[in-house]
Amino acid sequence: MFDAQPRLLAIGTANPPERVRQEDLLERFRVEDPRIRSLFTSSHIKTRHLYLPEPGPNGAPQESQGQLLAKHKWGAMQIGPEAVEACLSQVGLTVRDIDHLVCITTTGFLAPGLTALLMKKMGFREDCSRADIVGMGCNAGLNGLNLTTAWAKANPGKNALMVCIEVCSAVYVFDNTMRTAIVNSLFGDGAAAVLVRAHPNDDQGAPVPHVLGFNSHLIPSAVDAMRYDWDDEAGKFSFFLDRDIPYVVGANAPRPVARLLAQHGLKKRHIAHWIVHSGGKKVVDAIKYNLGLTDYDVRHTHSILRDYGNLSSGSFLFSYQRLMREGKVRRGDFGIMMTMGPGSTIETALIRWS
Amino acid sequence: MSRSDQAFETLHYNDDGDIATVRLERSRINVRQLGELERVCAHLEDESKASLVIFRGASQGIDFADFDPKAGLDIHGFNKWEKLLRRIEQLEKVTCFFAEGDLVGGGFQLMLTCDVRSARAGATFRLPEVQMGFLPGMATWRLARYIGVGHARRLILRGDSVGTEEAMRLGLIDDVREDLDHADLRAHYRPATAVASALARRLLLESGETQYEDALGNLLAAQFRAISQSAFLENLKK
Repeated sequence: MFDAQPRLLAIGTANPPERVRQEDLLERFRVEDPRIRSLFTSSHIKTRHLYLPEPGPNGAPQESQGQLLAKHKWGAMQIGPEAVEACLSQVGLTVRDIDHLVCITTTGFLAPGLTALLMKKMGFREDCSRADIVGMGCNAGLNGLNLTTAWAKANPGKNALMVCIEVCSAVYVFDNTMRTAIVNSLFGDGAAAVLVRAHPNDDQGAPVPHVLGFNSHLIPSAVDAMRYDWDDEAGKFSFFLDRDIPYVVGANAPRPVARLLAQHGLKKRHIAHWIVHSGGKKVVDAIKYNLGLTDYDVRHTHSILRDYGNLSSGSFLFSYQRLMREGKVRRGDFGIMMTMGPGSTIETALIRWS
Repeated sequence: MSRSDQAFETLHYNDDGDIATVRLERSRINVRQLGELERVCAHLEDESKASLVIFRGASQGIDFADFDPKAGLDIHGFNKWEKLLRRIEQLEKVTCFFAEGDLVGGGFQLMLTCDVRSARAGATFRLPEVQMGFLPGMATWRLARYIGVGHARRLILRGDSVGTEEAMRLGLIDDVREDLDHADLRAHYRPATAVASALARRLLLESGETQYEDALGNLLAAQFRAISQSAFLENLKK
């Protein structure tokens, strides 16, 4: 039933208070390698919000893996609750109204997971069911939304809350290699919460989108192209990004989109809004040229990248928030959400405002 | 693959699976013709296997008989027209316009969206809009990119009529000929290289509005797509 489709009723976001320019980071950590400096300064990214460590004796910070994990936990417990508050306050709900909680993170492993920590800290009901999605990377927001909307559909009228919480500054390794410099210059900290409910009586007020369906695409040949694994030398987990992966993702992007459109009898021209993960300049360019999207189509993807960097799983929700604030969506408009990440994978969702 | 069975009133459309031809059969552009051109675009985007689209004919521009002067003109109609032109400009097929007579206003605007532009001797080109008190659509943008702002000023502000000789000198048209040579067009625009040609067309369209660094990023993204095509890999083996 169309009118009982799950809908995205509210969105809230939060970031750490400290906002830094790329140049500030080079100064703070006394980075002198010209190749790394140019990676930061020539970036499409202008500012990011980060939980920054103090510089070490030689400039580069010296955080142990234990300190990084601790930062992930306390950082998540700052920006996570802020994003939840920002989301729920828009629809006059409190955490006591939430029936199902999904938390998504890749930037730290912990048990009990973020759902339990968030419920304790914010005072959720003890009977709120929950699920943690850990380690799925930048695409995870749509993997999570797939499950969250399925739960909402199976439980009409109940409130499901999905929260992406990424403290990317807790995965930084400073070892003066290009491999880590690429990561350190790209990712930012941020959390995004979205309220999902399937209820026929929700058709009031400003347009909000129904979630109509999903389509996934795994590229097994690129399984190692994006990975977060243990680096024995550094004694830390370290994120790796293959330099070709933006283009490979771009070349594959038309496939899930074509399937998603075909499933719903639509053509590309019927899609008014594209909400694409701000993975980095190259991958967004590759998607533009493979899907035939314009700079206008990906304006929010670009501006979120410029202002926040790559926020991993929550990035696309920041773009979605900008789109909603822009006030251009109209009832009946279709949109496609698209995220890309380790697997390598491309996740897509079709939404429609009503 | 042939498609000429659709009921069109203002144009004749034929698609032989290789070349699609749109013959304008109304002297002025009205709402009906706009709608029919949209239907043609939908076919070209969704179904047509043709690698080349030819628009041909002559046009005196917008037909104001369609509009009620008391009610005034509606800006959304103009927006619809611009959307159609952009859609034609962004088709993933090479587009060709053959001017068989005078192209005035909207007809001239339509020609400016096409990759290949040819005319029959005696054809003229004119943008009378400003002289009539309105604007020649995004021809202010397209024409300036073709021929430079200086020449565009004269054509747009004075509404001067340009003959084929001057049009060729300005770069508005590529050549003057009695008719199009389909064999020649086929030889130059092969379906095997359709992706490369579509990407090149897009990069050319964007050339005036992008900084070098951004344009380079765009080129690399497009180049990866081009060299991943089986047609390119087959060519390498030859």
